[in-house]
Amino acid sequence: MIEANNLTKRYGGHTAVDRVSFTAKPYRVTGFLGPNGAGKSTTMRMLVGLARPDEGEARILGANFAGIPNPGRHVGVLLDASATHKGRTGRETLSLAAITMGLGAGSVDRALDRVGLSKKEAARRTGGYSLGMRQRLGIAQALLADPAVLILDEPANGLDPSGIRWMRGIVRDFARDGGTVLLSSHLLGEVEAVADDIVIMGSGRVLAQGTRESLTQNGSLEDAYFAATGDDAREEGAA
Amino acid sequence: MSAVTGTRPAVLEGERIPFLRHVRIELRKTVDTRASAWLLIAIAAITVGATVLPLFLSSDGSGLDWASFVLFASSGWSFLLPFIGVLSATSEWTQRTALSTFTLEPRRTVVNLAKLVASLILGIAMVAATYAAGAVVNVIGIAFFDGSGSWALDGGVVLGYLGTMAIYVMLGVGLGLLLLNTPLAIVAFVVLPMLVSVLTLIPAMEDIVPWIDLNGASLPLVDGSLTGTEWAHLATAFLLWCALPMCLGLYRTSRREVA
Repeated sequence: MIEANNLTKRYGGHTAVDRVSFTAKPYRVTGFLGPNGAGKSTTMRMLVGLARPDEGEARILGANFAGIPNPGRHVGVLLDASATHKGRTGRETLSLAAITMGLGAGSVDRALDRVGLSKKEAARRTGGYSLGMRQRLGIAQALLADPAVLILDEPANGLDPSGIRWMRGIVRDFARDGGTVLLSSHLLGEVEAVADDIVIMGSGRVLAQGTRESLTQNGSLEDAYFAATGDDAREEGAA
Repeated sequence: MSAVTGTRPAVLEGERIPFLRHVRIELRKTVDTRASAWLLIAIAAITVGATVLPLFLSSDGSGLDWASFVLFASSGWSFLLPFIGVLSATSEWTQRTALSTFTLEPRRTVVNLAKLVASLILGIAMVAATYAAGAVVNVIGIAFFDGSGSWALDGGVVLGYLGTMAIYVMLGVGLGLLLLNTPLAIVAFVVLPMLVSVLTLIPAMEDIVPWIDLNGASLPLVDGSLTGTEWAHLATAFLLWCALPMCLGLYRTSRREVA
């Protein structure tokens, strides 16, 4: 369970995230949809304590993330697959995370297996990885401790079609087993394909939210998206 | 969904990540990347090079004893060792691993203090390795270079080396945390103390410089001959160069947005 309540973040005079509230529930994949710069990543950073909200608060599994004693055990996070040390191997990157969380030695091999990175690939430095390989490594790290919550920022970026299909499977299975997934994307099709609940963001605000069924009852998700964001663009133009 | 009221969420029941585990992780990070491994290799190479130097400087075997070899060796690592502290502090931000590190452990100051402790442990290992290397070279000196080979060891000098090492490691980690930029922190680390030393040339500064000159103030440490005033000089220089950047750096990194 993830609860965002009135989250607000300002940079100087600019309000990057403006009173964002939503709930991501267990057994559901919640899709966070919006164009680049809509405030999705900043919201996710506030969820996991990497950015301080100017107003509002976030709770994960009922707790403030920074107060959770060993948060990696409960919440798997992938905010930017490229944020690895380029000179460190993939396996070592996972090992550091596993040791930090106090996981057994087998967890790294299991996670590598699960995301389809071979021993040979894992022994290479991440500086030589393609974006797709980095996404797999990042998802492996998020899954390391078998957490209850997954927070993934643009996990489909850089994946080829088979990789995207694989990632959707991982996310669906995770939710089916009782996990809570929050996944962001700027791609409509990506969210439509995998999300049970959808939060549409634009210009730092939640423009629409609901189940996929409720958002698409009067047409496609695309219609719903442009009904929400299109109005927003006209407002901005008139202002 | 309202927030849980009354009952404490189950996720808060677990154990905190122990500090020593963080120290272990930070030590591991100093050898598991190419940059940090090369830095250690460079320090080892320079230390060994500096240790054997007296063998070729002495024409008659005088001055070839354990203490002299250690003195030369220390001039090797003392320059490079603080770079480990700098790298440890800055690379989280330059390589953006802070994103992962601080979601796995939101208590950022705990992680940063583990970096300091890990760097100090490396420093202690380096001092010990220096004495070991010095001993090996001393044997070589006795056997092949007609060295006097004295094994005399002054406890005060050992403590002096450890103290000097600790000061420069703290300087490195502190400037790294404060500036969060590897080249900038290294330049600051190398240039700032030098600039202060240059200030001694200005007559008006003559009285002030001893209180703020870390290089000058820490020199008597190795002689094991600190007087009362020299302790006071060292204390003020330490506060200015080690304690202050460290505190400001810890504060900055604890609040900064990780992106």
